[in-house]
Amino acid sequence: MKAYALFRKDLHSELRTRYAVNSLAMFIIVAISVILFSIGQERINENLTAGLYWVVIFFSAMSGLARAFVSEEERGTSLTLQLIASPSTVFSGKLIFNLALVFAMNTVISLLYAALFEGFVLQNFVLFLITFVLGNIGLAVSSTIIAAIIAKAGSKGTLYPVLSFPILLPLILTSVSLTLNSINGTSFEDSIFEIAIVACYDIIMISTSYMLFDFIWKD
Amino acid sequence: MNNKYIFGGVIVTVFLGLMIYLFTQTNIQYESDFTRVVKVDKTVKATGSWVKAKNYEIDKTNRTFSFYMVDEKGNEMKVVYEGTIPNNFESATSVVVTGKYENGSFHAKDILTKCPSKYEDGQVKSSSL
Repeated sequence: MKAYALFRKDLHSELRTRYAVNSLAMFIIVAISVILFSIGQERINENLTAGLYWVVIFFSAMSGLARAFVSEEERGTSLTLQLIASPSTVFSGKLIFNLALVFAMNTVISLLYAALFEGFVLQNFVLFLITFVLGNIGLAVSSTIIAAIIAKAGSKGTLYPVLSFPILLPLILTSVSLTLNSINGTSFEDSIFEIAIVACYDIIMISTSYMLFDFIWKD
Repeated sequence: MNNKYIFGGVIVTVFLGLMIYLFTQTNIQYESDFTRVVKVDKTVKATGSWVKAKNYEIDKTNRTFSFYMVDEKGNEMKVVYEGTIPNNFESATSVVVTGKYENGSFHAKDILTKCPSKYEDGQVKSSSL
């Protein structure tokens, strides 16, 4: 329940400053309109559509989710948090907040893609939904733990994408091929290996995050 | 407290191993035995050579290009490719086709041809400047 209280606190401070929401919305609009203007009337193929979809998701996440722990450090509230809650509670609270942000962000991106791109027609919708949910969980968990790592570091802005790239690479690659499969209408059985990879990735990231967060937070 | 790390470590190792195993399964595998190409129901890269005795066909209405391929052991199969004949097809020493075996023929998405090298065997002519 304490985790939920922390989520409420983050939600209130987000609604007051609108830092993450503004930077996410700005990035999504800029990226998608640049892509749209540059392709013009041409119809781009499925591989490119699936790739661009995840490029937009990756960089939006990089621009919006980096602040989770940095804001606590800047306002000097991290010591209070350490006093009143256990590390796993703090992590759960931040994770719920990031999950909500990632799901909201990706829903907006998917709707925009479906409305604006001709090539983004999903033949296997259930497969896309599974990819969407599993991919979002992986993205949220990884970005939360990396945000916690960089909160203590000096050059926060540049360190975040640099650290995220190798950690998120397996997730992004598999999600791209899953998205491609759902656009092409590949059957569920043919993509079972990719789904299992993303599920394994989520489980690994969640368990390592909960194990290692104690050390990051107390240091 | 200590139990948490042991338990978490076991979970991470098991799933990491599983993930690495699954990663090796997703790559498209090369297959040089056509009896296996016919059996497996997934996309493979079949390697072999073009049977020159049976000529290739170009169907202009359906826009397909079909030919017969043979592997090292002499198994033959028909390959259908949606597109035009690739460059240097006739001089190719070996062919790699990516696709899936369906309804009695191999449906290729991509054809790679390996051509005899220009830079082999022949005597080097001295250049006269």
